[in-house]
Amino acid sequence: MSFAPALRSEWMKIRTVRSLVGSLCAVVLATVVFSALAALDPGGSDFDPLFTVFFGVVFGQIAAIAFGTTAVAAEFRGGALRLSLSAVPRRGHWFAAKATAVGLPAFAVGLVTGFASLSVGRAVLGSKADGPGWTEWIRGAVGCGVYLALMALFAAGLTALLRSGVAALGILIPFLLIVSFVVGNVSGGVADFLPDKAGQVALHRAWDGSLGPWTGLAVTALWAAAALLAGAWRLCRRDA
Amino acid sequence: MTSIDVQDLTKEFGARRAVDRLTFRVLPGRVTGFLGPNGAGKSTTMRLALGLDRPTSGTATIGGRPYATLTDPLRRVGALLDAGAAHGSRTGRDHLRALAASNRIPVCRVDEMLEETGLTTVARRRVKTYSLGMRQRLGIAAALLGDPEVVLLDEPSNGLDPEGIIWIRGLLRRLAAQGRTVFVSSHLMTETASFADHLVVLGRGRLLADTPVRDFIHARVQPRVRIRTSDTDALEKALAAHGHDAVEHADGRWSVEHAHVEDIGRLLSAAGVPILELVAEEGTLEQAYLDLTASEAEFTTSTQEV
Repeated sequence: MSFAPALRSEWMKIRTVRSLVGSLCAVVLATVVFSALAALDPGGSDFDPLFTVFFGVVFGQIAAIAFGTTAVAAEFRGGALRLSLSAVPRRGHWFAAKATAVGLPAFAVGLVTGFASLSVGRAVLGSKADGPGWTEWIRGAVGCGVYLALMALFAAGLTALLRSGVAALGILIPFLLIVSFVVGNVSGGVADFLPDKAGQVALHRAWDGSLGPWTGLAVTALWAAAALLAGAWRLCRRDA
Repeated sequence: MTSIDVQDLTKEFGARRAVDRLTFRVLPGRVTGFLGPNGAGKSTTMRLALGLDRPTSGTATIGGRPYATLTDPLRRVGALLDAGAAHGSRTGRDHLRALAASNRIPVCRVDEMLEETGLTTVARRRVKTYSLGMRQRLGIAAALLGDPEVVLLDEPSNGLDPEGIIWIRGLLRRLAAQGRTVFVSSHLMTETASFADHLVVLGRGRLLADTPVRDFIHARVQPRVRIRTSDTDALEKALAAHGHDAVEHADGRWSVEHAHVEDIGRLLSAAGVPILELVAEEGTLEQAYLDLTASEAEFTTSTQEV
């Protein structure tokens, strides 16, 4: 049936909670600030001007994940889900509206983040930013938007699957901060296909794994889709 | 006309049967009280009727259709399940606006309902600053948002102050008078009797009674006569001769169950029993309800032991 009212309702729910709006602002702020810091002191033999400019995404994605998680987790407290599903009883329908209301703003904010990081990072880098062509810079900025939106959706799906924001963050934050840093440096093999490593290829000028920028984002998209489908499956099967 | 039809409804949570082959109808134009002790399965039944829980067997329909198949359901059915359903960081008005948007209900209804429930002054405050009573009113406002023909309220007077309880009584009566189907759960008998026309009583998931309130009172609230006399032997003899069982209490008073004061007074005076005190006592509605649910509990225990 008509999807627009459900989407409108879900978007209003996000817009009217300060912490959700705050986490979207934090995505921009954390990414731009940490990118600028990285650009202040670039160096090393494997200096990649593109990734230096988008380095802050490593931190900004935490805010994106927090956004995706809290937006969904609120439904699993105090019987909020029962009220939502009594308004929109078709559960798949409702969850699609919820995911869209998470994904679209995250993508829009991600794009803003990408282009803001790009301009700030390039300004800070100065002459060191020479090298990558305009297509590469744009690819990085758009990839940044897509990547942040996909991570928010991945977190949203995982939260619906686990029916708890604490559980979802408890898995995602250590995973991103520890596992990915440790395993991720061992390039090649399975580590390339982790949701964050795969998607972040799009933020690099050069890569040596089996995934390119767009195939990498496609792998992240598969992770997000899998999490969302699993979340939807659990939502449709369980009593609310 | 829109009724709620529950047919052979059963819901099991693991090995526990929360709702046990329940069949009843809730008809429009009257307030139906849904009574039972805590854990009797009232909330589960309501969730089943709203398609939120899936029944193990049986059906629950509203106006002949399963709830989940309704288009813009808030315009047909309004429900209050949990007072905690509103997000604490959202304002009361935003909470209702988001809900209204999902069912294409105009925003003016939001302000009308805030007015109706007495929340206009706090509408732009965040829900976490609300008292339990205010949250309950917000939940009722949400239930009435779509001007629904069917209203299901789970313990709506929870947390309301005395003024609020009087308000909700009036509101329920008004909704029924407008021809709506009003189904209200409670675990308090006297409170329910103050607004309900009809009762559905549940004990351990089973239907114990489905009857008009007046019939329930008539059939279950037994009259009792209390007597004080200076001649206990004569009293006992006179009562026994007419087949009444008299019970002596520690304070020297006697009481006769299931008897009217007119009959007892006449027969004692005819028998020449000296009377010091003769009082008609009505067993309370609450007592009748407790007796009903307690007998169910005993019944269940004894069958489990067999």
